Amino acid sequence: MAALLETRGVSRRFGGLLAVDSVDLDVTEGEVHGLIGPNGAGKTTMLNLLSGHLPVSTGTILFAGADITRLPSERRAAAGIRRTFQNLKLFREMTALENVMVGLHASTRAEIFHALLRTRFQKREEADIAEKARAALAFVGLTALADQPAGSLPYGHQRLLEIARAFVAEPRLLLLDEPAAGLNASESRHLVDFIFRIRSAGTTIILIEHHMDVVMPTCDRITVLNYGKLLARGTPKEIRADGAVIGAYLGKGAVAAAAAVRKAEAAHAAH
Amino acid sequence: MKMPPALPRLIALLILVAVPLVEHNAYWLHVFSLALIAAILALGMQLLLGMAGLLSLGQGAFYGIGAYVAGALAANYGVPFLLTLLAGGLAAAAASLLLVPIVRLKGTSLAVATLGFSIIVHLVILNEEWLTGGSLGLMDIPKPTLFGVSVADDDVFYWVCLVILVLVFVAMDRISKSRFGRALSAICQDEEAARASGIRLAWSKSKCFLVAAFTAGVAGGLFAYHSRYLSPSDFTFNESIEIMIMAVIGGLGSLSGAVVGAFVVVLMPEVLRSSGELRMILFGLAVILLMAAGNLGIVGLASLAAAKLFGLFSSARAWVSKPREAN
Repeated sequence: MAALLETRGVSRRFGGLLAVDSVDLDVTEGEVHGLIGPNGAGKTTMLNLLSGHLPVSTGTILFAGADITRLPSERRAAAGIRRTFQNLKLFREMTALENVMVGLHASTRAEIFHALLRTRFQKREEADIAEKARAALAFVGLTALADQPAGSLPYGHQRLLEIARAFVAEPRLLLLDEPAAGLNASESRHLVDFIFRIRSAGTTIILIEHHMDVVMPTCDRITVLNYGKLLARGTPKEIRADGAVIGAYLGKGAVAAAAAVRKAEAAHAAH
Repeated sequence: MKMPPALPRLIALLILVAVPLVEHNAYWLHVFSLALIAAILALGMQLLLGMAGLLSLGQGAFYGIGAYVAGALAANYGVPFLLTLLAGGLAAAAASLLLVPIVRLKGTSLAVATLGFSIIVHLVILNEEWLTGGSLGLMDIPKPTLFGVSVADDDVFYWVCLVILVLVFVAMDRISKSRFGRALSAICQDEEAARASGIRLAWSKSKCFLVAAFTAGVAGGLFAYHSRYLSPSDFTFNESIEIMIMAVIGGLGSLSGAVVGAFVVVLMPEVLRSSGELRMILFGLAVILLMAAGNLGIVGLASLAAAKLFGLFSSARAWVSKPREAN
């Protein structure tokens, strides 16, 4: 199988801190690829580099063979890379259905002119958008809440809604940033089920997750980061047996590193 | 049981259509026409601020550009009424392209930058005498005619303004329910998530500025025929601020709210005229009180009250018609 996404020596510096340090990543088309590591290992920074929400300091990102290193995030989204956010970024005052409809923006064409004249093209496209959005809501089990404002949904449902908004565009690559955070046990089991179903729909997934009961059953391969560097790579079975990984998770340095990276990222965001 | 949402709009429209049949006073019809023109301005502002969250204080400048272009074409070249309105709108839209480099600005930065634009446009109108007549103003704007028939009478001109307001209202309503409208709302609520959905921020915002400027330009064209004399003092940055007040006090994001807000801003000082010098203070107080009541605006508060009343009425009726248990 060909690599859908490759990074070559990707680094990201926040001031004096290398949050991601020369990482080579290979994600094969059709797989669920786990990205794990202790707090502060640089996982979310890496995801932001892949989605284009942060520019790389050095290195190259290839998607389906094309160099996307300089593409802004909206162009990457249009090219088929979609993501969810660790801290939920929904359009809170729009309904659940409208949120998912926005997800189809890049793959639809109607302009202001079509909307003003209500052309047949526009009506057909709007009907098509609504139908696809409803199907995506049904997929995550939120049909009954379609007309509720997104901000009023329970937390677990908001997570599912964000996945639906990303998934509705039939992305080639879906980046999930801690989708199980804040979910209860039964919601987590649902999530595992969704990940399998998204994968079988042909979407490649990169999954950042702390909950090993979500990572281990779903991932085909796992990449482990530590202090921004690639620590290990392999199947879930290999990773579980890897001495270096076990050391990183138990090591004392991890806590200090996490604090340093959070501080640096916060400073960067404030900047 | 809920009220059908289109009903209040329909009733409001019927009342607006009937105004000249009831009110024959030329002065008041003149004021009402001005309120309709202001409502068109407020609708353009609602697209910027209510839908896309763009706090622009440049709408007064586009209003002025539309007014001067339409007025000059009519006075100097005898261009027909509707064509001058279109030209005013297009000129304002073209001028909005000057703002493309600053659409990336947010919040207060955008407000101050667009305010600067308003000040510059005002200075150009004031000082470029060859183009605008300078401080003497632009005079001799002819009476508007449609297909050879004069529409300058106060009642007829009022209805012309009303037709254009309805067209702009329908256009904004259609935009708000379209792919573009959703993109603007998405940008307003979370820019990063909007980008992650493939929405190009600068492109969408520029289009938003363009449509809003066109709307303000058309309103400016109507104003040129309404007053038939344009003075630079009609288009100071203060105008931009009044337009913002209209959109905000009516109810941010609500199209009906924009219309109501415009009527309040134009009519209230007239109604308060008997209070003499106190009237602008009373107007200011009313704006402050309304803002203190939350961000619902007049339309939001009114529909809340209507829903309460309606709910009370429904439950009372249910109570009356409830079959009583026999003792």
